[in-house]
Amino acid sequence: MHYKNIWSEVPLREVIATPSRFRRGLGKYTVMVSDACDHCLKCVVVCPENVFGARGNKLEPPRDHLCLGIECSKKSNRCIANCPTAAIRVGVNPSIKALGDRRWTADLLMSTWYMAETGILPKNDLEYRVGGSQGGFDRLRFVFPKRPPKPDLDKNDIDTSITLNRRSDSREKIDIPIPVYGGGMSFGSISQVTMLSRIRAYAAWGSFCCTGEGGYPEILFPFDDHIITQVATGLFGVREETIQRVKIVEFKYAQGAKPGLGGHLLGDKVTPAVARIRETVPGSSLFSPFPFHSVYSVEDHKKHIDWIKAVNKRGLVSVKVSTPSDVDMVAVGSYYAGAHIVHLDGSYGGTGAAPDVAKKNIAMPVEYAIPKVHRFLVDEGVRDQICLIASGGARTAYDVAKAIALGADGVVTGTSDLVALECVRCHNCESGRGCARGIATTDLELVGLMDLEWGTRRIINMLSCWRDQLREILYRLGMSSVRELVGRTDVLAHLDYNSNVQDDDIRQAIY
Amino acid sequence: MKYNGSFADNIIASRLRDCGPMDPERNAKAADEGGCGVTGFACSIPVAGRHIFEPSIRMHNRGNGKGGGIAAVGINPSRLGVSQDELDSHYMLHISLLEPSCLPTLRETFFDPYFDVAKEELLGHVPDHREIEGLEIKPPEVLRSFVRVKPAVLEKFIKETGLDGMDPRHAEDEFISRNSFRLNKQLYSSLGDKQAFVISHGRNVMILKIVGYAEHVVQYYQLEGLEAHVWIAHQRYPTRGRVWHPGGAHPFTGLNEALVHNGDFANYYATSEYLRQRGMEPLFMTDTEVSVMLFDLWNRVYGYPLEVIIEALAPTTELDFDLLPPETQRLYDSIQTTHVHASPDGPWFFIIARNIPETRTYQLIGITDTAMLRPQVFSLYDGDVQIGLVCSEKQAIDATLRSLAAEDPRFSPVADKYWNARGGSFDDGGAFMFSVQPGENGGRELVCQNKFGVPVPVTSRKPLDITKSVHKPEKHAADIDASLQEALEKGDAQRIFQYFRTHASWWDYNALRWAVSRIGRAASKSTKALPHAIDALTLLIDRRIPLGDKKNSALIRIVSDQLYEILRTLPRIAGGAQLGHFALVDADTRNQLRPPIAIETTLVVDAKDFVAEGDECDASLLSDAYKMGWKKFIVFDLRGQRFEGCGFGPKTEEIRIDLYGSSGDYVASGVDGMEIHIHGNAQDQIGQIMKKGTLVIHGDVGQCFLYGAKGGTTFVLGNAAGRPLINAAGRPRAVINGTALDFLAESFMAGDPLAGGGFVIVNGLTRDEDGNIVFLDRPYPGSNLFSLASGGALYIRDPHRKVVDEQLNGGEFRELSDADWDLIRPYLLENEGHFGIKLDDLLTVDGVKRTPREVYRKVEAVPLAVLRKIPETDDSVWVTAAASAAV
Repeated sequence: MHYKNIWSEVPLREVIATPSRFRRGLGKYTVMVSDACDHCLKCVVVCPENVFGARGNKLEPPRDHLCLGIECSKKSNRCIANCPTAAIRVGVNPSIKALGDRRWTADLLMSTWYMAETGILPKNDLEYRVGGSQGGFDRLRFVFPKRPPKPDLDKNDIDTSITLNRRSDSREKIDIPIPVYGGGMSFGSISQVTMLSRIRAYAAWGSFCCTGEGGYPEILFPFDDHIITQVATGLFGVREETIQRVKIVEFKYAQGAKPGLGGHLLGDKVTPAVARIRETVPGSSLFSPFPFHSVYSVEDHKKHIDWIKAVNKRGLVSVKVSTPSDVDMVAVGSYYAGAHIVHLDGSYGGTGAAPDVAKKNIAMPVEYAIPKVHRFLVDEGVRDQICLIASGGARTAYDVAKAIALGADGVVTGTSDLVALECVRCHNCESGRGCARGIATTDLELVGLMDLEWGTRRIINMLSCWRDQLREILYRLGMSSVRELVGRTDVLAHLDYNSNVQDDDIRQAIY
Repeated sequence: MKYNGSFADNIIASRLRDCGPMDPERNAKAADEGGCGVTGFACSIPVAGRHIFEPSIRMHNRGNGKGGGIAAVGINPSRLGVSQDELDSHYMLHISLLEPSCLPTLRETFFDPYFDVAKEELLGHVPDHREIEGLEIKPPEVLRSFVRVKPAVLEKFIKETGLDGMDPRHAEDEFISRNSFRLNKQLYSSLGDKQAFVISHGRNVMILKIVGYAEHVVQYYQLEGLEAHVWIAHQRYPTRGRVWHPGGAHPFTGLNEALVHNGDFANYYATSEYLRQRGMEPLFMTDTEVSVMLFDLWNRVYGYPLEVIIEALAPTTELDFDLLPPETQRLYDSIQTTHVHASPDGPWFFIIARNIPETRTYQLIGITDTAMLRPQVFSLYDGDVQIGLVCSEKQAIDATLRSLAAEDPRFSPVADKYWNARGGSFDDGGAFMFSVQPGENGGRELVCQNKFGVPVPVTSRKPLDITKSVHKPEKHAADIDASLQEALEKGDAQRIFQYFRTHASWWDYNALRWAVSRIGRAASKSTKALPHAIDALTLLIDRRIPLGDKKNSALIRIVSDQLYEILRTLPRIAGGAQLGHFALVDADTRNQLRPPIAIETTLVVDAKDFVAEGDECDASLLSDAYKMGWKKFIVFDLRGQRFEGCGFGPKTEEIRIDLYGSSGDYVASGVDGMEIHIHGNAQDQIGQIMKKGTLVIHGDVGQCFLYGAKGGTTFVLGNAAGRPLINAAGRPRAVINGTALDFLAESFMAGDPLAGGGFVIVNGLTRDEDGNIVFLDRPYPGSNLFSLASGGALYIRDPHRKVVDEQLNGGEFRELSDADWDLIRPYLLENEGHFGIKLDDLLTVDGVKRTPREVYRKVEAVPLAVLRKIPETDDSVWVTAAASAAV
């Protein structure tokens, strides 16, 4: 692999092909080569996607996750027709039936893996935009005009940046080049390699990534300017020093995946390293309470924000809340209390560590919460003073664009980053030692399954592909900046109310 | 006001008929109430409205200027244009005319057919609201009307409602309340464009509210000179921003009461539904309206005594319930069974001002919820005049008293007593009421009682008359001068303190004041004596001494005044020529802050005019000064300013900060190494996430003390309010000499104290007026101790084994081992150094010295299955790598 391995440097933003770390990547199609193969290597020549490769005179096992599909293989100028010994068979991979869930379908997992590997959209028929949940973002479609309204727009000039501090105060004005930053996943719930991979990737993109509740490990110090540190209800690992290091401090009032519940980290995951960072005792289960015990009202909330502002005189304050039915009041209250960012965390997100009963049954769906809050803030006349960020189940570039069209300024992601690192959504996160992919674990042996530079590149590639998709979507809508998309619900259609919705696939346009 | 059941039934039945079908859609709450700032006081003499001014301004940061209100009860009629009799007998209607053109209709529909009007006027106000700084929205015109119901109308009403036999006055009350309801429904809640609503309609009760801050009410309606016995004010923090009329602002009224509220209910819908079933329909859609409706229902319709009403609002639970007498248990059990679904659930704190016409009593009541989730401080001063106060923050109390004392020497800027109520408890019931009752020879007297009617004892000592000039006391002067001189020369502050301790009880106020002034004189003459004088005065503020017939509050006032005087005459930072060990900076000179020069060591900050938070606040000045090289700080005359000690960053071992006055919230939060002394009571959220250092509080401390703390050593002379050490992890070590209201060390995660973990020591004591130690009957009265803790330990002085298993939820008692005693002994010795509480006294039980094991008990976390032994993992690689990267 031809990348540098200096972990403390902010890596370059460029796309570098980063194949699966396992011997064979999982793909939608499986390509089998029987013993009849005589290693004529004709398939290597005819395949447009590099599925076949040769080592010396011998055919390598096919990289079937790159395969464009059965139809392609049957064309006269492709592999099957050109195999003299009829040794090649292409079919649908039976494993996909066991892969994923309705929210993260096998297609979505594999298309994200593909983006993370190549930095481009999959060229076969993988569904890369929506999952199969029959709800949420999966029921929304973009309605593109027949022709791009401004065909002269240079796609490379389309601005995808957003401003995080929109208040007219003395604090730093921060722009990020993509409307996405990384959500809080604490050290302890994910490994150091995972944490660092995410942060380095977002740093490469000039964006931010949140530490989550688990404190601020020293390894992150080189990336201070790209880190959001979290002050959560348990206050684990929160020190003046950590608050002062960063440009953005995030209050976690609630988590959309489990509103009304505190965080929990079972004893198994509290290794000495985790305990040291959180300033607690190894092996002792850590629970953070569901409320801030010092904040039972909005004037307490203001006081709390004032406190952080007294400790860090330059930084921005983000307030992360879940989406109860009065979330609009909460957002306005946060604005008046002096917050820069209101972060709505909807209920679709959450790794396997959040209890299912909470994940799927509490709080308002985020696609309802975003416009509700957006409009309320507009009516209040303060919308242009605050940055509204949405999270909770934004899996794809399309989800990001939809959230923005619903009224958010930007989006926070979490699970997609882990999928880019080849998470298979097995839902064993909470068990600590159970992460088969070495992502959400603190076990040293499992952590060793992943290399830092590999992880970084995978996420950089995915974000690169997301940016390209966003630009294409904006181009189709005739917008020169993602800021124009905010609150444009008119460019969306909901399948429940519109039966005749055009396909919003942009794959053909990009490639 | 006892009714038999049928009256209540008839009233409810007729209300249900009157209201007609209610629209369940309207159950929606219009505004999510945040918390707020609430304040109130009751005084034996009528005091002017301008005194509600100072505390209101001091609590700006608890409101956002989108709603403010005040109420007055027991008003002096001279400015109202009615006689005392008319004021007592007539209903005093205040109607907010949002749309003044509706007045003729309003009169025609709701006044003329029913009322005899004694006097009517539109309230005077300043001509242009923009003259008042910060008041953006024009307050409404207010119609004030003194009315009685026409006898024929009342008679008809009694007949129709089935109230024959009821005291006609109570029937008239009900008529007034119903008439106002109809008015509000027709002219307010049913309209898109609101026209008018009744703000208050009780006897001798006035409520006014606006979109703005509470003090704007006083300014706009020119109430500065209006006198009343009871005042309350409310700074609202509504989260919905563009409120253009004051309908949702507090206070709200039932009939003869005004209620303000800080908090938010979780069961608004259930409570509204309970009221609906009893013919009461909320029209303003806030928690506060619902609260006062409950109060009115239980008080006026069901005729419950106040104790029962408080029980219905804040039920007694857990151990507290078990400790009640059996007959009270039976009563409370039936109240809870009947009304628990209406009992407001969630953080709330009510202040109620009310008039009880039957006994000509004006009353101020403060009630806290069972979980004590909102801050509350009560206080009492008893001198030539008596005043009781209740506020969200102590600093608001001090602001009120300061404002009163500046004008009338019978008041004192320092109260005799400050305390917190313990919600839903067996001892005080979580509520106190101050009743201004008719007293001897035509005057009025103030009585303070808890929920159970037990009076709060007041000191019978002589008040200080500050107007008297101080002269040289013939008898003691020579001795005082000689002793102080010697001690100051030797630089021995302790000795000065001891001299006062042994002599002050024989002196009169004149001698005491003269002695204190001699310390001041010495300080002003000699730079050498200066620091010792400051130390000596500090000791006199921190510790109590025998004072004979003099009050401790008077001593604190005298000594603080002297100390502030000394500090205010120190060389100014901008002065130039004059240099000493100290340099003084105040709000005006804050921009001239510079690094210390030559022998300067201590930056003295006059906090008086600093704002409470933000870039211009004194806490921000301190951290800036630290970056310039200052290491020692004295901050004095604090008035609720927040965050001192915050923002200094890591490793601040050399720093020491001394705070005098009413210090504010979040002091010492996040400190890493420094030493902070709070002279006097501390407020809420003190020492949050403290990492390292020493914090000494010479008084009580408020809510959530040491929340999430990771380390540090803290000493508290008095009590901690709710939730001390909650979620603390790592190795915090705390000594609390008093006790805690409840929820001490909940979710404590501080490992094994014998292996470097954290612990808290509770001594369960208090001091009497002369500074003698008095051990509490129960060292820890709360029902929750060490709940859900997974580590750390509690060492509690409990020789009579009064703490019981029922109080523990996740903890268990352990015998005190030698290792435990070796661990805590040095902390108790340090505690002795800070507060003069002797280790020997702590080990003495009923006059006999005992072994530590007999006196102290240890509570530890029950080992849980999840605390499994796990293999070591090594993160040193990353630490090394990070260190090299940082270079």
